[in-house]
Amino acid sequence: MAMQTMVERVEARVPVTVMALSGELDASNYLRLVDDVRPLYDGGARNLLLDLTDLSFISSSGLVSLYSILKVMQGEEPPDPEYGWSALHTMERDAEDGKTQDVVRLCGMQPAVAEVLQRTGLDTMFPSYPDRETALAAY
Amino acid sequence: MSGSTTVRRHVTIPADLERVVDLRATVRELGAGCQAPPDCIGDLVQAVDEAATNVIRHGYKGEPGAIDMTAELKGDDIVITLEDTAPPFDPTAAERPDLSIPPHKRTPGGMGIHLMRLATDSMEHRFRPGGGNILTLTRSRVRRPKEG
Repeated sequence: MAMQTMVERVEARVPVTVMALSGELDASNYLRLVDDVRPLYDGGARNLLLDLTDLSFISSSGLVSLYSILKVMQGEEPPDPEYGWSALHTMERDAEDGKTQDVVRLCGMQPAVAEVLQRTGLDTMFPSYPDRETALAAY
Repeated sequence: MSGSTTVRRHVTIPADLERVVDLRATVRELGAGCQAPPDCIGDLVQAVDEAATNVIRHGYKGEPGAIDMTAELKGDDIVITLEDTAPPFDPTAAERPDLSIPPHKRTPGGMGIHLMRLATDSMEHRFRPGGGNILTLTRSRVRRPKEG
């Protein structure tokens, strides 16, 4: 199954760009996802909510894309995608340094996807909400 | 399918990241066919995806090749064998991440292998006669793998 994205702009307490992912995020499409986020940031988006309700699978490459998206949304260059762990290590280091972030938030994770984030420690890096409504209310 | 209780699937894909989806679909099909719970199917889908992606990216490196996958139920174990003709690489010998070392000082690479270990009960690698690799992933359909 290919992955598809759909973008909406929502006025919560602040303007929020919601990107809904559906399908499977793997090594064949993870770079495209990062490329999809760049123009959003360039167009002024500063709060990105990734709605993962319809995402049924995420691979380690997909985790790297989540981290890369965060970097893009922070106005930085994402790491070389070939460096799987080191990308995450940089992120863990950021967390150890107390650099919490809320520019990229997640909602609607299915259990299988949540498990992968938990197994790699990424669950602690992104604010996460059970569904879109709850996530938007938290802004 | 031969015997009445045999649950077995076989598929071959070219060394193309776009085709790993076929392996995941086959694992889901087998898992459903042997009434495996969702967490078991999810684990095996993950392990197969990470293994095949590593072979395509770091084994074949853009060269043509194939991955041959057989998945079957043996007792309460789901056993998946992935066979390739890429240069020999044993993922089971890859270093485990040392969690006592600060993250930024650890060796890069191996995130997929880390996920494979957590998702399976065992991973066995053999060098394929004539060149290549045979990787066997096993997971019980009735209990979760031990963490770590």
